[in-house]
Amino acid sequence: MKNYELIEHTADVGIRVKAEDLKGLFENSAAAMFDIIACRVNAQSSCQSKEIIIKLESEDLEELFVTWLNELLSLSSAKELIFYDFKINKIDRNMLQAIVAGEEMKNYKVNAEIKAATYHQLKLEETSSGWQAEVIFDV
Amino acid sequence: MSETQQVPLEKIDDYRWRIPKSYKPGMRVPGLVYADEKLLKDIYKDKALEQVANVAFLPGIVKASLAMPDIHWGYGFPIGGVAATDIENGGVVSPGGVGFDINCGVRMLKTNFQYEEIKNKLKDLVYTLFSDIPSGLGSKGDIRVSEREEKEILLKGSKWAVEKGYGSEDDLECTEENGAIQGADPSGVSQRAYERGKAQSGTLGSGNHFLEVQVIDQLYDREACDALGLDLGQVSIMIHSGSRGFGYQVCDDYTRSMIHCLQKYNINVPDRQLASAPVNSAEGQAYLGAMRCAANYAWANRQCLMHLTRKVFERVFAMSWQKMGMFLIYDVAHNIAKIEKHIVDGKEKLLCVHRKGATRAFGPGHSALPERYKKIGQPVIIPGDMGRNSYLLVGTKKAEEETFGSACHGAGRVKSRTASTRTTDLNTLLKELESKGIIVKASGRGTLVEEAPQAYKDVNDVVDVVANAGISKRVCRMRPVGVIKG
Repeated sequence: MKNYELIEHTADVGIRVKAEDLKGLFENSAAAMFDIIACRVNAQSSCQSKEIIIKLESEDLEELFVTWLNELLSLSSAKELIFYDFKINKIDRNMLQAIVAGEEMKNYKVNAEIKAATYHQLKLEETSSGWQAEVIFDV
Repeated sequence: MSETQQVPLEKIDDYRWRIPKSYKPGMRVPGLVYADEKLLKDIYKDKALEQVANVAFLPGIVKASLAMPDIHWGYGFPIGGVAATDIENGGVVSPGGVGFDINCGVRMLKTNFQYEEIKNKLKDLVYTLFSDIPSGLGSKGDIRVSEREEKEILLKGSKWAVEKGYGSEDDLECTEENGAIQGADPSGVSQRAYERGKAQSGTLGSGNHFLEVQVIDQLYDREACDALGLDLGQVSIMIHSGSRGFGYQVCDDYTRSMIHCLQKYNINVPDRQLASAPVNSAEGQAYLGAMRCAANYAWANRQCLMHLTRKVFERVFAMSWQKMGMFLIYDVAHNIAKIEKHIVDGKEKLLCVHRKGATRAFGPGHSALPERYKKIGQPVIIPGDMGRNSYLLVGTKKAEEETFGSACHGAGRVKSRTASTRTTDLNTLLKELESKGIIVKASGRGTLVEEAPQAYKDVNDVVDVVANAGISKRVCRMRPVGVIKG
């Protein structure tokens, strides 16, 4: 089952994501974003997976969240990879360290182009059961 | 959405509505919405009007935060918005007022063919265009460039392509800014942007980008049509694309850095996506320098796409493109910030005009126009959806007086992509298009249902408003016969 919901927006598309903790929230949001972008079609193919270390700093949590998603979009486009595995090793409100794994695009069917994650109506909330995020993408 | 229904609108006349400055404390100017009663019903469905009011917070904004009739909910700025700030009075520039797809725009070229002459070859033509023009997400082109060459593109824009043999000098004259806006500064472009831009020159992209073979089905202004060499039944081509990943990266880099400017320059805006910096600041200048690089990248890209289109026609019809009369009518940017002079309160001012989903529409005699268009005014190209119409208009003096020389940019979405996907059946859509004689080829099935005509306002209604309000004049209308989607 998908661990996110789509939010309706006239021109664009948004997601609502939940997780138990902040690490999970960042990981699930990244997974949701790439779930919108592409789906794997070539499950059998043995293709090389590439791991990339990401370190980010920012002024606050919202900026960290948007920067994280945009860094992944940017890397995906520059390196021509689709990311499928996200592991946040360290996170606080101003920084994160992560290792992400991606594969060449040829094993995927690309469904949508996301230009960027935006700050518009961005929500990051601590809830009784963990964390929830809402973010709108420019598609 | 109850929140948006509360945005008060005062009727000025049948095509103009004001959001009073008193609506929200912090608005520096009122909002001015170009629409009629019919379009307002759609506009009220989302939060676009709230965004028009939010844009009115920008420091230095003059006259009004403008909304064109194709306005819809964007992120930060509405799509279909125009905002001009007074540079000498602390006016700001906002990357969000341009958008991620910097210099997304559209060009129209004509042919000597009448529809009847190519009808039998149309399928072959559309399929060849689809196979020869790279489209779709992350599409990569055959036109690969080194980093040194990429820098040249950023400075020279379309001229780079013409020097490579992808077009003629004439094309440059028929492109806004001659296909290269001055003041581009490659030193403000991140390494990542270069990396993203390298493989994507001469690619259409995806989403709402397209290449269409069209037929002129109505003339409105015989004199202008004669001047442009356009007639009923004539085949024309429209190309809609932008700066691809290169532009997204520039916007992303600078939105991030400008969020920090909000505090530094004491700028109070209700949405972080309106992050901005004074035009006369190091940050503002750096953004403009990089944005112009992306704008030039986009012009080079559309020039390459036109070149590929001409090559396909040459192959299919075994004639040179010159012989087929495939000359560029014009190329306009509809996501850009420009430094322009306009009259505000009787005085000439140097303004930073943001057009986010809006087209420049200068009237006859304007100094920015090439000699050939001085008499009729600047061609304004308005693409519609893939099932209905597109328009060629010309700008007016009235637009210069009222809207900083701007008009609408398209039909404007009315349904979200998810809603369109949910409610559109692909086979029904394809049958419907086929019954209208429209041949469609797309990279993804998803794009087709997302971009179904029902997802858009009727461009005819949108153009009625800009024409009736006098901010552009209709020249002719086209209908699509061949559609290539990303």
